Amino acid sequence: MSHHLFLLSPSDTPLYSLTHQSTKPVPTVTSPLASNLPTWSTSAFAGTLTALSGASSATQHTTSGAVRVGGGQDRHVIQMIANASLDVIEDEMHKQNLMYLKSVDKFNEWTVSAFVTPGNMKFVLLHEGKNDEGIRAFFMDVWELYVKTLVNPFHTAHTTIRSSVFDTRVRASARKYL
Amino acid sequence: MAYAQPHPRLSVVSNSSLSSVDHLSPTTSSTRFSLPSAPSLHGAASIVKAGPNRPNIYERNLNKTRGAEVSGAAFAFLFSEIVQYTQKRVSGINDLERQLNTLGYRIGTRVIELMVWRAEGSSKTPKREIKLISVLMMVHTQVWKAVFGKPADAIERSVENPDEYMIIDNDPPIERHISVPRDMSQLSCSSFTAGIVEAVLDGLSFPARVTAHNTPNPQFPNRTTILIKLEKSVLDREELLK
Repeated sequence: MSHHLFLLSPSDTPLYSLTHQSTKPVPTVTSPLASNLPTWSTSAFAGTLTALSGASSATQHTTSGAVRVGGGQDRHVIQMIANASLDVIEDEMHKQNLMYLKSVDKFNEWTVSAFVTPGNMKFVLLHEGKNDEGIRAFFMDVWELYVKTLVNPFHTAHTTIRSSVFDTRVRASARKYL
Repeated sequence: MAYAQPHPRLSVVSNSSLSSVDHLSPTTSSTRFSLPSAPSLHGAASIVKAGPNRPNIYERNLNKTRGAEVSGAAFAFLFSEIVQYTQKRVSGINDLERQLNTLGYRIGTRVIELMVWRAEGSSKTPKREIKLISVLMMVHTQVWKAVFGKPADAIERSVENPDEYMIIDNDPPIERHISVPRDMSQLSCSSFTAGIVEAVLDGLSFPARVTAHNTPNPQFPNRTTILIKLEKSVLDREELLK
């Protein structure tokens, strides 16, 4: 089961991103549209089309234990889903006074959870399956790490986070909670 | 020779810039979400090497505030240097105030994030302020306490302009040791504070133009008003969410 984390500045510029492969079991998702799909595998856009229609099985049947590629796992599809969820997040953050917005958006097998900091940074996480408590704990860790990054006078606010320690710490937290 | 080996204090900067060089190539996909891949672990190793007895910022506890206060004298000295430095690089009072505002803004972005983290960081359901009035009250009380150690003296809404609010400090700590020359009587060094307020409001998505004005009275010759002029979008949104 994979997770995709994006840290977005107030102007929606990505400052950090992480893909995390969790060892926890994948919940089986059945997408109704997928079975009705014609075989477009020769088309250049096959990956995108199958992904948008909800087919997560496009290249899954190749090997049993391998990491899934194609289908809903395409990088550009992930980015598109995360981008699309921003509208919902913007709406919700003015209605709710909570920083952790759980499951704000859904797209096929993906659920989008978000965390909005007081400084209007948005942490967007794409995940499969439900794990509210773990995701909350993960977001709190990322928030603390982000505050530590921000108070460093050598870091300019709202610029890409390149610190390797930050990266290591976020990965460790992802392993722990996701 | 002095520059051949970076000082251990600069290790965070030098290491991150070194390790990021090879990640800046635009070979990855060019979408909005694309990022240079995260730096590899060798960066972390060299940080540890550079300062074995200096813990990096990620290992420090953000809640350690006891004994971390800065002395008033040290701050007055630093702020005096800031004003002098800025004054040499600007033309006119407006420009000087704008520069001080910009410097304050950089403080404010950090103040809001750190202050709320300290208050909500251990909460199960961390909250952000979304109501205009509570945001203004938070600036008046919590932000002032976090920055100056005391709440501001008053907060008022302008009678003639509904989009203007004023936060009043009878004796701003940053101006205690400043006497402005007569020919610059317009200048308010609290523009620095205005910048902090502007950043806090911006962060909570209540964009506003914030300025500082001298409003002395016989009892308080240093009395200063921080004028907050909210953007129209903020008032429209408040109206919608009512």
